Amino acid sequence: MSVLVYTENWDGKFKKLSYELVSYATAVAKMINSSVSVLSIGKVDEKELSTLGNYGAQKILSCEKEILSSLDNQLYASVISEIALKINASVIVIANNNTGKAIAPRLSVRLKAGIGSGVSKLPLSTNPFTVYKKAYSGNAFAHVILKSEVKIITLAQNSFDLTETPNIASIEKIDIDINSSAAKTKVQEVLRQTGRILLTDADIVVSGGRGMKSPDNWPPLLELAETLGAATACSRPVSDEGWRPHEEHTGQTGKIIAPNLYIAVGISGATQHLAGVSASKYIVAINIDKDAPIFEVAQYGIIGDAMKVLPKLVTALKNR
Amino acid sequence: MVVRSLHATNVRYNNPMIRQIIFAIILLITFSVFFYTISRLISYFRLTKPSFPVRDFGKRFGIMMKVAFGQTKIFRKPVIGFLHALVFWGFCVIIFGSIEMVFDGLTGSEKAFRFFGPVHDFIMASGDVFAFLIAVSIIIFMARRFFFHIKRFEGTEMKKKSHLDAAVALMLILLLMLSLAAMNMGYVGNKSATGGDIAGLYPVGKLLAAIFSGLSADNFKVIYEISWWVHILLIFFFANYLPYSKHFHVFMSVPNVFLSRLEPLGKLTNMDNITKEVKLMLDPESTSAAVPVAAAFERFGVKDAEDATWKNYFDSLSCTECGRCTSVCPANITGKKLSPRKIMMDLRARMKEKGPLMVKNGKDYNDNRSLLRDYITEEELWACTTCNACAKECPININQPSLIVDMRRYLVLEEASAPGELKSVFNNIENNGAPWQYSAEDRLNWARDLIVPVMSDVFAKGEKPEYLLWVGCAGAFDDRYKKVIRAFVKILTHLNISFAVLGKEETCTGDPARRAGNEMLYQMQALQVIAKLKAYEIKKVITLCPHCYNTFKNEYPDLDGNYEVINYLQILYKYSIEGKFKINDSSLKDISVTYHDPCYLGRANGIYDHPRFIIEKLTGNYFEMHRNKSFALCCGAGGAQMFKEAEKGEKEIFIERTEDAIKTGATVIATACPFCMTMLTDGLKYKNKEGDIKNLDIAELVAQSLGL
Amino acid sequence: MKILVCISNVPDTTTKIKFSEGDATIDTTGLQWVINPWDELSLTCALELKDDPANGIKSVTVAHVGTVSSEPTIRKALAIGADDAIRINAESSDAYFVAAQLAEAIRKEQFDVILCGIESSDFNNSAVGGMISEFLNIPSVSAVSEIKIEKGILVITREIDGGKEIITAPVPLVAIVQKGIAREPRIAAMRGIMLARTKQIKILEPIDVEPLTQITVLEKPVPRSACKFIDAEDPSKLIDLLCNEAKVI
Repeated sequence: MSVLVYTENWDGKFKKLSYELVSYATAVAKMINSSVSVLSIGKVDEKELSTLGNYGAQKILSCEKEILSSLDNQLYASVISEIALKINASVIVIANNNTGKAIAPRLSVRLKAGIGSGVSKLPLSTNPFTVYKKAYSGNAFAHVILKSEVKIITLAQNSFDLTETPNIASIEKIDIDINSSAAKTKVQEVLRQTGRILLTDADIVVSGGRGMKSPDNWPPLLELAETLGAATACSRPVSDEGWRPHEEHTGQTGKIIAPNLYIAVGISGATQHLAGVSASKYIVAINIDKDAPIFEVAQYGIIGDAMKVLPKLVTALKNR
Repeated sequence: MVVRSLHATNVRYNNPMIRQIIFAIILLITFSVFFYTISRLISYFRLTKPSFPVRDFGKRFGIMMKVAFGQTKIFRKPVIGFLHALVFWGFCVIIFGSIEMVFDGLTGSEKAFRFFGPVHDFIMASGDVFAFLIAVSIIIFMARRFFFHIKRFEGTEMKKKSHLDAAVALMLILLLMLSLAAMNMGYVGNKSATGGDIAGLYPVGKLLAAIFSGLSADNFKVIYEISWWVHILLIFFFANYLPYSKHFHVFMSVPNVFLSRLEPLGKLTNMDNITKEVKLMLDPESTSAAVPVAAAFERFGVKDAEDATWKNYFDSLSCTECGRCTSVCPANITGKKLSPRKIMMDLRARMKEKGPLMVKNGKDYNDNRSLLRDYITEEELWACTTCNACAKECPININQPSLIVDMRRYLVLEEASAPGELKSVFNNIENNGAPWQYSAEDRLNWARDLIVPVMSDVFAKGEKPEYLLWVGCAGAFDDRYKKVIRAFVKILTHLNISFAVLGKEETCTGDPARRAGNEMLYQMQALQVIAKLKAYEIKKVITLCPHCYNTFKNEYPDLDGNYEVINYLQILYKYSIEGKFKINDSSLKDISVTYHDPCYLGRANGIYDHPRFIIEKLTGNYFEMHRNKSFALCCGAGGAQMFKEAEKGEKEIFIERTEDAIKTGATVIATACPFCMTMLTDGLKYKNKEGDIKNLDIAELVAQSLGL
Repeated sequence: MKILVCISNVPDTTTKIKFSEGDATIDTTGLQWVINPWDELSLTCALELKDDPANGIKSVTVAHVGTVSSEPTIRKALAIGADDAIRINAESSDAYFVAAQLAEAIRKEQFDVILCGIESSDFNNSAVGGMISEFLNIPSVSAVSEIKIEKGILVITREIDGGKEIITAPVPLVAIVQKGIAREPRIAAMRGIMLARTKQIKILEPIDVEPLTQITVLEKPVPRSACKFIDAEDPSKLIDLLCNEAKVI
């Protein structure tokens, strides 16, 4: 019996998300008296693989097959399920990101395993195995029993804290027999956005809205972001006006993010924008209008002129 | 030699029989050509759809006297309008002289109507004077056209052909007047020289004859004869040229005014074929069988010329391409493609193209072209704010907006085609009963701490409040406008007026759907609202939003929703008159106010004075914008524009209007509509004036003055 | 090519969900039901593909697992432009059950492209699409933001972290789509609604499948605490709170 974690890698490196999965799996393993194995697919060096051990991984399986260098759902599902069966995994933990959403359902059918999708807490009980997840787009939370023998959990990003459980993990390179024609989908081209912290990965996001009045007013906001090591975002009118790049647009029709801290500057808090950021752990609003709806969802607020408040915040941060 | 031949000619001409015969032949040719033209036009009319029934002759006669003969709408541009009025009145008088000339021509008489005595004198004299006045006016018009750059004479629809048409028409009229003047001069000159009887009075003719006194009696006679023939032949030519020219309005304008659409400008015509379908959709259990699709092939809306009504076509034939409509169109003013004039010209041109083909090959003939897209693009149609400035401005009461909306109806009801944002709006109205995505459960959030009676509670207790206060979707969900509703509710409570709201049971009236062409969704909403009001036995409705007001008042009766509909300004006005307002509040002492007329209160429903009366009771510093009342510029939000991106243009309409307001120097812009408020508040932000100028609703001003 | 779009029936997203603490299901009285927004995107995508004759789409079918009470939603899909519909007559219990039913229905016909939305707005699971593809043992591509057809091959754009991948795939295929896949929403024209009355909804009986998961309890979300205001003159207090109280910096 073991808990199997599948993690992807990004150019041979793991992200905080990977360690969240392992931390979570370690906690679950403790609940069911089991061990944690991690499967990594792709070219990752041993040093990087061993970091998984810091969060509780006991066994690390690395599969570097060339044919798996890009994601083919069918192929990945067959590889992961083969490993899961081999190590007798009873719980499989995957991220609830695009990759996880692509693979988990196929795994579920292969292994006849029930899925808890977008889980945000440790299982509420192990018998029956009950997970906790959001439903009705956050208007309710559901307790879901996974009735099957094997269970799959896709973990919501940034919902579980990293917990270090240092140990030396064994690293095993595995080889799987795969027919070269098995991958039916082929990647023709990859278009990457370079540089900057990915908005969806950032822990802290500083975002500007129409209340900033003009693109020329952004430097204090950018300075705050830099001081905090935060990513930058914006509301729809700002992106439409061309004040900020399109990729920064968060909201119903833009990116949906869930950082630890979302600082909304000069954003009124229209529902469409909030739809993109309401899952943030903490929302801070800075706005000159005391009646701005954003103050109804923010935990902390400053009613004032952003141009005056932002520099003061930067100074306060620098003085720590 | 020349004298002799002229004399011979004279002799020949003096032979009445030949003259009469020639005249009769020319007259016959003229009538035949005219008859041919008219019968072709009638065959095109037969291809069009029915329109409103022509009744209320008394009312129509009154409108005709005022607008056509009184030229009241032409006078909206006072100076140039006056010159046009002169030309028109001149034509009205000169026509009698022309009839006399025809009579003379056929019977060989000279000035046959002389026996009318002083009446004849008067008509001849006025005709004579008018000939001079018209000639001067025409020269001014020509100078304007050829030497000055008049914006409304330009436009993508004004091709070389239009300019040539205008030039030809002006030239012809000038020649007509010159020939008439020459004719009269010749007549007077000849009669004076020969001592003959002058039938009629010719003040100008007399003057000209005196100036050219050097001419002999015979000279004058020749001038008279030639001018007479030139004049009558020009008339015959002109009469037959007109139906093919933009000047057809000479014939068509007076009838077009008589046949005016009598409904308020804000009212759109109900589509009865849609009502049948919608009633079925709402009650699938109903015993009436669905109209089989094949049989119901009648097209919804207007795609091509044959889908338009006879009145649309009549409008298009009457349109003289003056461009006044386009010059006041907020979309056109700000550089969008829409031009109301072009819409009418395109219909006329398309019927000219397809009419003959359909007459020849049958009504189903398809030439693979259409009014929609080949003539009028979707971009033009979706730029309209339905502000009715064009319809209000048109001197002959053409109604452009109804055709524009009918074409939107085709796009939505037949092709499911509309700008993406509007499709979302349609889905929202259908799914959650409001143009934006908000839950019906939140419709009372604005009331918070206020005591607001809710219909379901009140009715359950067996009470019947006097008024239903219709909050509207903006009142329920727009953060800024919620304050206006609150202010008005405080006033109602203060005045002890018995009212209740529907609260969570309220849904969109369907107005944005209707203006955007989605007649089906509008009627679904309307029928549901009407059913709800019926269940609560509602008789009187107060609304704040002018769009809701217009829909309840003018459009719901078509679907059997009949109520006494009162706009909140009328309540405020009534109670102000009755002295129930405590005026002279010091907080309003220092403000200066300008008022923006909402299109759906002003042009659409004629409410201009109530708001001004109320404002002037509150503050002595009231300033009118230069474009006000029926000339007011739309804020740009109507016609569903509020919910979509503006079409491509040079400027935003709301900025143009905000500039009008800022120019008055007022510190407060008063509005009476949630859309206008959103637009003007945004406008102030864009112009960085939010610190200096406030946008407040009249309800807020009154509440403030009452200390509420 | 024949396209199948799987649709589920969900409460309108603005609805205030009502239930008592501890209930396993919500109160459905007076609810407005709509096509799951992500499935509606799939349907719009399918219709956009069909609009272009060069794509050679023969028909767009919608499939749904549900009882007769969801027929209005199916009719709406037909009114928007789907050609015909299949309804598997069963209460939808969990994703596995639904996917198994749909896979069985698809097995009986030949569909080239199966479109599913990546998420449903009721249970926020991302499962049915992937499960169908595994039941049918055909390839799937997820997080799809664009589909093009070039010479009978599907050219698909898939969203990845910080970018996109362009993928080619053969048919039959399951494409699990997300935002960006459709240019604009669709509405039902009057004409469409009238035609929809004549389009066919095929009713199938369900196969025997045991669901793998079950919802036992619904909880209300913890209401957010009121906003704590910090004086604009002394914003450093905010930094203190974020450091010590919220512990996010």
